[in-house]
Amino acid sequence: MTLTVQVFATLKERAGAPTLSLELAGPITVRELRARLGEQHPELAELFARALVAVNREFAFDHEAVQPTDEVALFPPVSGG
Amino acid sequence: MDTITILRLTRDPIDLNALQRAVTTPRDGAVVIFTGTVRGQTGAHQTSWLAYEAYEAMALEKLRQVAEELRARFPLVHGLALVQRIGEMEVGEPTVAVVVAAAHRGDGAFEAARYGIDRLKQIVPVWKREVRPDGSTWVEGDYFPTPHDKAR
Repeated sequence: MTLTVQVFATLKERAGAPTLSLELAGPITVRELRARLGEQHPELAELFARALVAVNREFAFDHEAVQPTDEVALFPPVSGG
Repeated sequence: MDTITILRLTRDPIDLNALQRAVTTPRDGAVVIFTGTVRGQTGAHQTSWLAYEAYEAMALEKLRQVAEELRARFPLVHGLALVQRIGEMEVGEPTVAVVVAAAHRGDGAFEAARYGIDRLKQIVPVWKREVRPDGSTWVEGDYFPTPHDKAR
C-alpha cells in the first residue's frame, strides 16, 4: 500500500511538494518511517531525522506504529502565534 | 454552566472588537485580549511581512486541546476565543488573538490568556515565513513536544 506523508514549511519547500509517498507492506514505527523517507530522499534525511511527526493529527514518537492507512505528517517545530 | 468557545483558523483579518462581543455574556465584567502582531523591526533586523501556513485539520484539533487544558486550569473563565490567522500579513496586523472573558479580572483572566498564547505557540501546527528586504526564511520554533503534549 502507498502511504501519503504530508510535509509543511521548510520540509515542503525542500521537498518541492506538499506530499511524499512511501510503499508499505504493513505497519512500521515512526523511527522506521523517518529512516525510510531518508533513504528515498537522502538530501532531506537530516531534516526528517529531527522533524516532528503526527499520526492521525496527534504527535507521534519513535516507538509508535504507523499503518499504511494513517494520516501522517512531518513538520518542523511550530512557529505560529 | 454554559460557556462560549470560539476556535478558528482564518484567512480574514482578525476583528478584536467582534471577538470580544462574541465571547462576553451579561455575567462577564472582565475581558482580557491578547493579540500578536507582525513586528517589523527586531533590533537592526527588518521584517517586511509574514506568511503563515497551517496543517489545518490538526491545528483545529490542537486549538481544541489548548482550550480544554485552559478550562481545566481556569474554571472561572467563561468566554474563550483562540483565533489564528493564516496567509500573508503586513507589519502591525494582528496575526493571532486570545480572548478570555470572566466575571472579574481576578478570576484567572490574565493568566488564562497567557496560558492560551503560550500553549498555542507550542503545539498548534502553524508556521510563519518571514519575508525581509533581502529574501525569506521559514521560522522554526524551539519546542519539541513530548507524549505529555498529546490530547488527553
